[in-house]
Amino acid sequence: MAEPAYTVVSDSETTGEDKPLSAFPEIAIGIDIGTSQCSVAVWNGSQVELLKNTRNQKRMRSYVTFKDEIPSGGVTDRLANEQEIFSGSAIFNMKRLIGRVDTDPVVHACKTLPFLVQPLDIGVRPLIASLVNNVWRATTPEEVLAVFLVELRAMAEIQLKRTIRNVVLTVPVSFSRFQLTRIERACAMAGLHVLRLMPEPTAVALLYAQQQQQTVHENMGSGSEKIALIFNMGAGYCDVAITATAGGVSQIKALSGSAIGGEDILQNLMHHLLPNLDSLFSNHGMNEIKSMGLLRIATQDAIHKLSAQTSVSIDFDLGNGSKICRTLDRTEFEELNRKVFEKCEGLILQCLHDAKVDVEDVNDVVLVGGCSNIPKVRNLVMGMCKREDSYLEMNPLEAAVCGAALEGAVASGISDPLGSLDLLTIQATPLSLGIRADGNSFVPIIPRNATMPARKDLCFTTAHDNQREALIVVYEGEGKKVEENHLLGYFKITGIPPALKGTPEISVCMDIDASNVLRVLAGVTFPGTQHPVTPFMEVRMPTVDDGHGWCAEALLKMYGSILDISTLQKKLQL
Amino acid sequence: MSCGLIPGSDSRFYLYTNPILPTRRSMTHLPKTSFLIENQVGSFRTKTAINDGFGFVTETPFRLLKTSFLNENRGGSFRTNAAINDGFVTAIPEMSFYELLGISQGGTSSEIKQAYKQLARKYHPDVSPPDRTEENTRRFILIQEAYETLSDPRTRALYDRDLSKGLHLAFSARKQCQFEEGPEERGKWKTHWESQLTELGRRSMDKDSRRNMSWGARMRRQRNQSSAE
Repeated sequence: MAEPAYTVVSDSETTGEDKPLSAFPEIAIGIDIGTSQCSVAVWNGSQVELLKNTRNQKRMRSYVTFKDEIPSGGVTDRLANEQEIFSGSAIFNMKRLIGRVDTDPVVHACKTLPFLVQPLDIGVRPLIASLVNNVWRATTPEEVLAVFLVELRAMAEIQLKRTIRNVVLTVPVSFSRFQLTRIERACAMAGLHVLRLMPEPTAVALLYAQQQQQTVHENMGSGSEKIALIFNMGAGYCDVAITATAGGVSQIKALSGSAIGGEDILQNLMHHLLPNLDSLFSNHGMNEIKSMGLLRIATQDAIHKLSAQTSVSIDFDLGNGSKICRTLDRTEFEELNRKVFEKCEGLILQCLHDAKVDVEDVNDVVLVGGCSNIPKVRNLVMGMCKREDSYLEMNPLEAAVCGAALEGAVASGISDPLGSLDLLTIQATPLSLGIRADGNSFVPIIPRNATMPARKDLCFTTAHDNQREALIVVYEGEGKKVEENHLLGYFKITGIPPALKGTPEISVCMDIDASNVLRVLAGVTFPGTQHPVTPFMEVRMPTVDDGHGWCAEALLKMYGSILDISTLQKKLQL
Repeated sequence: MSCGLIPGSDSRFYLYTNPILPTRRSMTHLPKTSFLIENQVGSFRTKTAINDGFGFVTETPFRLLKTSFLNENRGGSFRTNAAINDGFVTAIPEMSFYELLGISQGGTSSEIKQAYKQLARKYHPDVSPPDRTEENTRRFILIQEAYETLSDPRTRALYDRDLSKGLHLAFSARKQCQFEEGPEERGKWKTHWESQLTELGRRSMDKDSRRNMSWGARMRRQRNQSSAE
């Protein structure tokens, strides 16, 4: 094996256990790792500046090519030819693959990508591989991302003439805590320290808050609260946020998100153009890869054209003797992707509902991300928000990275004499956090969209008479049953005094600090008192590292229901 | 330890906070209990009497920390986290949510929002000096709870009712459980609470409103009601 292109720094550096908050004199840079494109921005002392690569690009394709022994990414790579990117040697869509198991539908949708994604459907990480000298060489999404981040880092270091260590990254709203640890892992491999992982629309919200504050200063307007709905749809993910902004404080009222984006639209259209796509490409031969790449290029092109014109003619050779020649109009395209658009509507509705905001109260609608160019997307968002015009003060493709750079400056303790950095984001948890109880039910302790930092507790009790031990299995998600959620970790509490079921009090407390670190505290207290029977347990989550589904199954196999707990129906009087 | 100060009335100290957000380095702790904060935004000036609700904490930070450890029975096991909930609540028993936010009981919703954002800029851990992060996190969580309760007309009505009975200490309207409510119910929500609001005066405990509180909050209410009887 050749020398890896990344350096592994010790894990302790990324755990954030002891954050030396004042020890960061440097300004953290903001990175927006998109499914399809990446950008880097930094606060230059007076404003946010996007960095450019040697080819003068502000947005770089997110991919890594494994051609020879040394991989190279889209930051420096001279590959301009899409055909070469889609020839099997390049890996992209890391953001759709990272931290997902091979039973995930999102992973399965990646099977038609022009490199190897091999899910075995057993609940472990899928094998991904690139074609190097006619051999499928396996890698991992973390490694690919790390290689890419190393390039981004080198580019920033050359331009800023200093070492870069601290970064603020934007992440999709729907990322699980496990996925966040994978992003942190990739950063650690690239020698980067994550100051903050910001859900993408909250980064946009921060930029919006800054712009509003400046408008207030300039126009001498009132500093009253403004509510913005932020809709961010890129290639891999769709996110919605509702923020209430006043005086530079951006309060995230609600977040919603899903792994749905331009990639799904592309897949739908590819399957429409070539109905037997899956079977055709299942053996991943050289010729099939080539055809897959060609189909992808032609489909992408058609989608882009359909944003400006109402119909497009598709005419290309798959390279295997078959040709695709037809016209596609916008109505057909929209009908094909009806489910995608419905999902977007659902996310907006859910976000409005969770934020308890009426569309009439929304002051601005901010549309960002690559898919905001699609007329149907724009129309559906504007239609749901009952207005004609969206907020035009920001570049839809640069808003997220600018917000991340602002957060990077604020989190580095930089202040601006003009007050441009007098900003604060009050974040919310995108997903509910809870434990398994009452059989197989997921009982949330911190509901989704709770303001961070947060600390909440609930009382549970034993499910059996004389039960001496109990399993605390922690999940994240919105499903009613535990198996519909992400497993974060588990631990056992012991020393429960023998008693009839339903009488011991098991207190479970969840704590999220402002850096989004989750701790679960649990223990047994004597009924009617606050005295712990044995020392409480404090566990930082997530503790699972791989094969999440398996751990829950193993626990079930080992213990059945004997260590189950139930929600406490009657709390004894103090 | 006493902190029986009535916000917005006596013992106020004039303090000018410029619009610069206190950063970790520039933030200095404020020694008095009640401030008149002059909020300058552009040419628009508002004067709001803000009692930060924690003045006594800044006066005796170490004593409080110690007391909260002692009062907190679980403290030993919660160790460094020192039980944000109970430890802190027992340390400031007289604080109502209005006092926490430093507004009067008749405060409008915009006053609540404004007070909340002012206090967030002061106590949010992101803008706290490193040595006060933990303490300010606890404060922020309490401020957040006060804000969430008072900014929702439903929970505010419930809280006011408890407050008039002297039961406000028991009240803990946690962030509402959103799992039972589907988005389709959302439209009905506004008309719903209006009718509920009037009903609540008569009914001792309205079933619908209870459903929207967390289970823990309901239990705490129930417990405290029965112990008060």
